[in-house]
Amino acid sequence: MSASIGAGEKGSVNVELNIVPFIDLMSCLTAFLLVTAVWVNIAQINIQPKGKTRDQAQVQQDDEHVTLSVLVQSDRIWVGLSRVNEFQDIPKKTGPEGDQDWEKFEATLKEHKTSAFFTNPERNDLEIAAESTTAAPVKYQDIIHAMDIAVKVGFTDVGLSDPQGLAARPSL
Amino acid sequence: MPVHSAGPRLYRSVKFKHLVRESGSAAGSRNSNISLNLTPFVDMMTILVTFLLMVFSSTGQLLEAQKGLDLPIAESRETLQQAPVIIVTKSDITYQGQLIATVESVLRDDSPTFKIDALFERLDAAAKKIKEDVANGKQPRDLNAACEKAKNNIRPARGEVICPDGLAILQADESTDARLINKIVNTAKAAGFDNLLFAVKNK
Repeated sequence: MSASIGAGEKGSVNVELNIVPFIDLMSCLTAFLLVTAVWVNIAQINIQPKGKTRDQAQVQQDDEHVTLSVLVQSDRIWVGLSRVNEFQDIPKKTGPEGDQDWEKFEATLKEHKTSAFFTNPERNDLEIAAESTTAAPVKYQDIIHAMDIAVKVGFTDVGLSDPQGLAARPSL
Repeated sequence: MPVHSAGPRLYRSVKFKHLVRESGSAAGSRNSNISLNLTPFVDMMTILVTFLLMVFSSTGQLLEAQKGLDLPIAESRETLQQAPVIIVTKSDITYQGQLIATVESVLRDDSPTFKIDALFERLDAAAKKIKEDVANGKQPRDLNAACEKAKNNIRPARGEVICPDGLAILQADESTDARLINKIVNTAKAAGFDNLLFAVKNK
């Protein structure tokens, strides 16, 4: 099988390009790539286990500077600052889907990121905890979503704490 | 068997009447000759190869697909790196492919240590071995710089490789209860794994 180039009048040069090896190569390459193809893109979110109960070094650190803490519950998210003890309550959206209000959560974190406490570019730490019970479970997807938003906003040093170990914990 | 002269004779053996025009040379004479147009085929192959080359991953297989495991979705684009893998499916917890406990039994256990003992034993042994390997410089060369930074308490920037000392991957189902995640993180921290990579699926 071949493809001709420049077929013309008498005397003109007629080149026949043999495309069989090309097709062979393409077929082999296609088969190889199809077998080795990765169809699911897996990424990672890097976290450090944090919290007063896990990391003793943090107890001393908490006395020195303000820490931004996030507590995810089944029906709301609390965002608070340690030492200041100022908390923002972000209730779940109402409606049939009833998902967490991630837009408001993102806006709240952005607000904190631009506040005076976090103007130092090295201050990009945040701790997240999830309070889950049998009656009101919190799913792993919600923790990941909260961490993902935190990283997106600029809090790249995300730590996962247990609810009791949060630097700022709302009194419920 | 009759001997024919060399040349294409596709049309004679298989009557591709619908492929040739009635007024064309092939229909008019018995010496009909079909030329197959390969251009669309080559075009398609080229596009397919280009697409497959774009999605080709040279990092190799880091995680295995598990039954009953749907990873959570996130926008993060940071790539995973080689590390011990803790897998939490809808029913089981496994470490490096070995069953550790069932999800139900761990959730039922209200021990004050908030640790999973069977997992702690495995992680503790793994952490000691990795620490020894790193101390002896047995890790790949590209990780040396990362380990030097870790020694000096310098946090790796986003996208940079992380020293394998104290690094583990958690591959958990999206519907896993947060209490279970807390217990696993507690256990990993107690065993010396200070850096956890949460495996996520890209949006």
